[in-house]
Order: sequence, then structure tokens, then C-alpha cells
Amino acid sequence: MTIEQSCVTSHPEIAEAPRYTCSLGGALGAVLGLFGTVPILHSGAGCGLGQQFGLTYAAGNNSGGPYGTTNTPCSCLVEEHVIFGGENKLKNLIQSTIELMKGDLFAVISGCVPSLIGDDVDAVVKEFSDKVPIIHIKAPGFTGNSYQGYELFFEALINQHLTDKPLQKGLVNIFGVVPFQHLFWKGNLAVIKELFARVGLTANILFTEFESLEHLQRIPAAEFNLVLSPWNGIATARKLEKKFGTPYAAFPGVPVGPKQTTALLRLLAEKLRLDEETVERVIAEEERRAYRYTEFLGDALILGLPHAYFAVVADSGTAIGLTKYLTNEVAYIPDIVILSDNPPEEYRAAIARELTDGLETVVKPEVVFEVDAHRIRQKLKGRNFLFLLASSLEKHIAGEEYGAMHQSVAFPSYDRLVIDGSYAGYRGGLKLMEELTSKWAGPL
Amino acid sequence: MSNIDVEEIAINLDNKTCPNREERANGINVYYGKASKLAQDAREGKLRNCERKFQQSSGCVLNFYLTVRLTTIRDAAVIFHAPVGCSASALGYRELFRGIPPSLGRPATFDLQWMTTNLTEHDVILGGGEKLQAAIREAESRYAPKAIFVLTSCTSGIIGEDIEGAVRQVQPEISAKIVPVHCEGVRSRLVQTGYDAFWHGVLKYLVRKPEKKQKDLVNVASMLSYTWQDRLEIIRLLGKLGLRANFVPEFASVEDFEQLSEAAVTAPLCPTYTDYLSRGLEQEFGVPYFLYPSPMGIENTDSWLRQIGKHTGKEEEVEKLIAEEHAIWKPKLEAIRNEFLSLKGNGEKLSVLGALGQGRLLSQTPYFHELGLEPSAAIAQDFDTLILEDMENLIRDKGDFDILVNTFQAAEQGQITKRLDPDLTLTCPFQGSAYKRGKGMTRIHSLRADPLPYSAQSGYAGAIACGEFLLRSWKNQSFQKTMLAKTEDSYKPWWYEQSDPLYYVEKVEEVA
Repeated sequence: MTIEQSCVTSHPEIAEAPRYTCSLGGALGAVLGLFGTVPILHSGAGCGLGQQFGLTYAAGNNSGGPYGTTNTPCSCLVEEHVIFGGENKLKNLIQSTIELMKGDLFAVISGCVPSLIGDDVDAVVKEFSDKVPIIHIKAPGFTGNSYQGYELFFEALINQHLTDKPLQKGLVNIFGVVPFQHLFWKGNLAVIKELFARVGLTANILFTEFESLEHLQRIPAAEFNLVLSPWNGIATARKLEKKFGTPYAAFPGVPVGPKQTTALLRLLAEKLRLDEETVERVIAEEERRAYRYTEFLGDALILGLPHAYFAVVADSGTAIGLTKYLTNEVAYIPDIVILSDNPPEEYRAAIARELTDGLETVVKPEVVFEVDAHRIRQKLKGRNFLFLLASSLEKHIAGEEYGAMHQSVAFPSYDRLVIDGSYAGYRGGLKLMEELTSKWAGPL
Repeated sequence: MSNIDVEEIAINLDNKTCPNREERANGINVYYGKASKLAQDAREGKLRNCERKFQQSSGCVLNFYLTVRLTTIRDAAVIFHAPVGCSASALGYRELFRGIPPSLGRPATFDLQWMTTNLTEHDVILGGGEKLQAAIREAESRYAPKAIFVLTSCTSGIIGEDIEGAVRQVQPEISAKIVPVHCEGVRSRLVQTGYDAFWHGVLKYLVRKPEKKQKDLVNVASMLSYTWQDRLEIIRLLGKLGLRANFVPEFASVEDFEQLSEAAVTAPLCPTYTDYLSRGLEQEFGVPYFLYPSPMGIENTDSWLRQIGKHTGKEEEVEKLIAEEHAIWKPKLEAIRNEFLSLKGNGEKLSVLGALGQGRLLSQTPYFHELGLEPSAAIAQDFDTLILEDMENLIRDKGDFDILVNTFQAAEQGQITKRLDPDLTLTCPFQGSAYKRGKGMTRIHSLRADPLPYSAQSGYAGAIACGEFLLRSWKNQSFQKTMLAKTEDSYKPWWYEQSDPLYYVEKVEEVA
């Protein structure tokens, strides 16, 4: 195993095609993931439209929905505002948006321009706080990427809106699934919600729930916060622990297939002191069915394409889930895993451990942290993997340059439509195997 | 009919960038009324941009068009001197043209590349000039490109980066030609300023002094709303005249830009898009141009070809070609027209509302008439005096119409669509949820790398393909009707009950 640093130049941020957008984009994605919250951009006119091509289309060809695309209110700042300030424009925009659009929460997202010209956005937003539920997410693009934008959304919500609530036994908030940036966010959350219900828990998945405000306001009532990522969402969980005393745990990604899903249920059983017998009964039932279905895969796998080498380029959580499933359940062999989400330094060793010690194989993959599409392309050369699970950036080079079959599983993926599909849960791994096997399958 | 002459401002390549469309051509993106009144107001110098109290994200100088387009120039590299989000919309760069089979004429191998300087808080405070130079050096060593485009952003602009200074300093050690493009999002309200800013950079840095005149070369600047099949049709038609098309900028090579000065003529697909380039090539290198019409519809294609014939000495060949083509295509157009005219069953024409650029307004309106449709209203992204005379001619020839000028303002577009309730609306995703309706609806156009014959719009083949496409949209309306019935509208009912799409426009003149 080697862990490579992302860049050798004096300016490590310079990169070809990093696989995320800016913090404004991440915050906008989070708000568009809430059914009922209206985003209001205080930014240049292109910041929203740019996310249409660069965030929602890149997330499996998704439209931004009724508050996305060009429906998103925006102050569309130009030179006059740079000189005279954009506060008045924002004030008019918030007022008119409240008049015109239906929403249970309004989320003002301010970008680079107001931050650079010193608009007092907080003061403007405050003028409306007695009229409607409203928050301000300060998310200038130069402060970070989509993942930080997601955390900034929750930071604003926690600081500006959430108040203590009586504890609701069995309620668990889910963090770490970043709308759009995680391709399968809708399907993943739906699977998690259903899984939790099986063991008597209520997953507060927040995104994709109608009446978004109600679900957001319930966050402080939770008994527990679960982060389904090796790093993203932990900052939010820590803030909630500090403010409301809610304990949390991080599971290193959305679970893919029976082994990981069982591990998650046992973690929940331990942390939430669930009735062990019930949980084990659910596990047995689910595993029995999942593995009975896996029998149908057997011949194609063993006769067709057994013990294939594979490579992964994805965000850490997605990479861990898929790599573990393919390695620990269908005996594929990981060649290289490239983590493209730029996780903070403090989490990298643990991520690499998941991808090495966490695998049931004598061959350990090379683990690389890299955001630069050019370096990723070089790094994948001269290997013998048969499958490349990556973004659609690799779609056309996979065959030509590596002789591999390609499947888009991570951001950006323009080459597939993702509505509510997912690899999560007991039978999610089989969905992945359907896709991979369909790449080559023919008469045996 | 003119009260004042619309001034033409000469292009000055000594400047680091173009003037904004607002200054160069009195450009606006707020208007609602009769086209004739708009023309009159323009003549009287009364066009004003007003603030909207309610506005929606609609694209900026950088992030409507340049981001997704410049990254497709084949042997160039693009550097976004910007925070990481400004280039996210270019993430499809490796896939864009790959869907076109090489058998349809795309090069079998090619590579596109771009980088971001990923400006951070640190750079905002301390400046990013050195970082830009590092990115230029890195691009040179990685990709060995023939040109490096440097695209600026709101952030690089507001913190006062000296782009020209940084470029001047680093150019001697770089073999690629570095082309700064000033596309700070905040510089202009009109996305069209981005076209001009790009062409300014091309004219200033890339186009070479003509080494030889290429008498058979026709420059064609193609917007992203023209597809691969449109290119093929233009190649086919020019080929029959013994002429070659020099397509820029999408998917072009740097050589294609360098030789722009050697062409016989610059022909438009979209006048508002091509304007700055056309004028610049004539002023600097004597390449003649015309801006009207575009080759959309049969009549327009006829006159487009005639203009090209005039500049290439092919008048006779053009007449022969037109006759040949008419024999093939006119009966097909007639059949489409007859079917459209029969659809309502009462002799009435189908009314159509198109969301158009101002260029499409000019070329598509006559084409709608050819098809037997009634374009009694139009939505235009913007309006400026560059097309004033051509619009006046259009009104004279085809009659007056209502016009709503706005850049992708979804609420305004939804309002006017619901109120006018045309039989057919031609929309694009930039119109938010305006596709949900009880009558006809389809897209206004496909995009650039679409290789399917049914998406074509240009030339004779395109006129027929597009007519058939529009007919097909009439045959099944289940999607828009179901979505209208089963989903909530984004706007409250009162919005549709009042009559003014510009309800939220401040009725005071902006600070000049």
C-alpha cells in the first residue's frame, strides 16, 4: 500500500477537472435535495445555471427540479452592485421570492461576490426572520468544494434555526449523503429508511422528504446521529453533539451488500441498545433472501468472469462500499483505489485502512488520494484491471487506454440516468453485479 | 423609418477586451411589448436595462456558454482562473463529442483538457498571479497545447488580478499562444458579452496575418444549438459548390482559428453570436461578411447560399444547387405544411411560441411561416441594435408580433406561456418548469454533439427534419399533461392571474 499526496507542485489546488463543484454548489445541492425549501442565491447570474450543467446534470442527468434549473431565485449581481453593494437587490429578491414561491423554509446562499464586496447579508436576512423561516448559508466558492458546502448548510441551520426538542426515542438523523454529489443519494436514503424501519428505528433522512422544515426541525430530537461517510458529515455530527448532546457514530460509507449492511445493523444495535434478538432475526431474514438471490449470479460469475481485477475512482465513502463488496463478497480483486474527494488529512489513514485491512484478500490495492483528472488518468495506466468503476470522465478512456470495462458510479456521471437506483443495502450489491455483468454477458 | 442612426463602434484590439454589449449595441434583457414598439424605442435610444425585484439564475458572461464551449477546442488547453465551481459545468468535456461515430467525420482520436487554478481564500487575500503562471506552465508541460485560453472570473476580477501582466511575463517561456479572455461574470448583464470577449481574444492573439487567401474557405461560427448533423448539411451544401467550411470554435483546432483571416467570407449561423468576429475579421484582415440570414428554413438557406456565392464567385453554381435542392426538399416541406394546416381542423394555423436567442428570432420566425405555423409571439434572450435593421425587415415582411425579452427568466416565461396559451411552445431546459402544460411542447433545439438526423435544423435537410420533429411533438402530449396535472407549480396562482410578465421589474431607469 502506498498513500500518495495529491500534488507535487507548489500550488496543490491547481488541477484538471476536480470531481466536485464549489461550496455554493454543495449548499445549493443540499437545498435542492430538500423537498419544500426554496434556495435564494445571492451571487452572480451564472452560479445557479453553472450548477445545472456542473452539478445536477453531472449527477446522473438530473434536472434540478421545481426550485432548481432557472427556477432558482438569484440576485444576479453585476458591476453596479460591486460598486454600490448588493444588499438592496437581495432585500427585494427575498421579499419577492416569499410572495411568489411556495416554501416552508427559505435558504439564502451567498457566493463569492457578496463576500468580496462586503455585503452584510446576515443583516438583510434578519429583516425577514419574523416573517418566514429563513437561514443564510455563507458559501463563497473560494472557501471550499461541494462537500464543505453541504456542511455549511447544516452549520447555518444549526446555528440559526434549530432549537432544543424533547428526545424522540429511536429517531436517528442520517448525515454524510450529499445530494447530487453522491450520485445515488435518493436511492441510498430510501434504502436506509426502509432498513431502519425493519429494526424499529426511524431514520430522519431529511433529503427527499416532503415538508422539509418539519424534518429539519426534528434533528435535535434524535437519539443518535449516524454519519454514512468516513469523513463528510462528521463536522455536522460534532456540532450537533456540542449543541444538543446527541451522540454520533460514523460508518465508512453507505453499506453495499449483506456483510456491510449487517455490520451497520450491529453497530446500531450496540449504540442504540436495540433488542439483539430482533436485530439478529432481521439480519438472518435479509441475508437468507439476499444470498438466495445471489445464487442466480453464480454461473455468470464463475463461468463468465471470475476473480476479475478491478479499479475504483470515487469519493471515499462510495469507494469503500463498492470495493469491500466486490472484494469480500464476489471475490473480485482490487488493483487500485483512487479517492477523488479530497478528504481532510486527519481522515486519510483510516480511509486507507478500510481499503486494505478491511478486505478479505491477500492482494491489497494501491490506495491513492488524487483529485487531478490528468494524474488519475496516468495513475491508471499499465495495470491489468478488467473493470473500472469510476466517473463518466473515464467512460471513453477505459477501453482505449486500459482495456477495461467501465461503469459510472461516482460524480460526475453524465452517461446514465439516476433517479432512485442504488447499490445500498442487502440487495444493492446485486444491482451492481447486474450492471457489471451486463457489460460483457452473452451466451455462456 | 429611422430617427437616429445606430452607431457602429470600431473594434479596438489594443484594448484588453471588448466593450460590453450594453455599451456597444445598447443591449437589454428586459422588455415586453410589440416588436414594432421595441424597434421604435431602439431607434429613439430609449432602450434601458431595469432592475428586477425578482430575478432567477440565468447564466453569466462565463457560465452560460464559454465554460462548456471553449473546453472543446481540440489542441488547446483552458485554464479557469477561478474558484472551483466556475468550471464545474465543463465536467462533460471528455464525453461531449465522443458520441459522434468517427464514420460521421469526427476525428478518431482527440483529447480535450482544462484546469482550474481553484482560487482559495489565501489567493483572494494574497493574489493569484503566480498561481496562474504555475498553471500555465503545468498546462504547457502536460498537454503541449498550441494555445492556452485563460478565462477570468468574478473573483479574479474583483480582487484585481493583473491577467495581462502575468501572461506577458510567462509567455516567453511558453510555446503555446496564451489567450486571456475577460469573462468576469459581473462585468455585464448580457451573456452575449461573453461571445464578444472570446472573439476579442481570438482576434487579438490567435488569428494570423494571412499567408495566402483561401478562396474556397467559408468561416462558419457555430453556436452550441447547432448539431453535428447541421455541420454535415453545411459541409454537403458547400461541398457541392466546391467550397469548404471552416467551423469555429466548438471542436475546432487552433489552426482553424489561425486561418480565419484567409477565408473568402464569414457566414453566420447566428448573427448575434458571430457579429464581433465577423466585423473584426473584416476590419483587421479584409474578410467580407454577412449577418443575415442564417440557413434555417428553405428561403433562408437559399439566400444564405446566394450571399456565399456572391463572395466566392459561385453565383451560377448556387442557382443550380438551389434548383436541385428545391426539387428534392420542397415537396417534403409542402407535405409537412399541409399536415400542420390540417391539425386544427378549422383552417386555423397552429400558434407557436418560441424561446429564442435574438439570432433565432430572425431566422426561425420566417421558417415558422414556411411550415404554416403562426408565430404571433416570441421570447428572446436579449435584444440589441446589432439586429435592429434585420428585425425591422422581419416585421415588414412577416408582420408584427409580441416580444418578451429576458434571459431565461423562468417565472416570466411561464407566466406568458400560460397566458398566451399557444398551441405549441418551443422550450429549453433553461425555462424551468414551463414544459408542464396542456398543449403542445417540445425543445427549441438539440445541442452540439447530437449526431441524430432527426435533431437537425440547418439547411434543406434540417428544414425538413425539424418540421417533421415539430409535427411529431404534436402526436403525443402525455408527458407535459401528466406532469401539469400531477406536480405542484413552482409559483403561486396569483402570478398567473395578473397580466404583466414584467410585474417585478422596477419601473425606474437604472443609474447610467
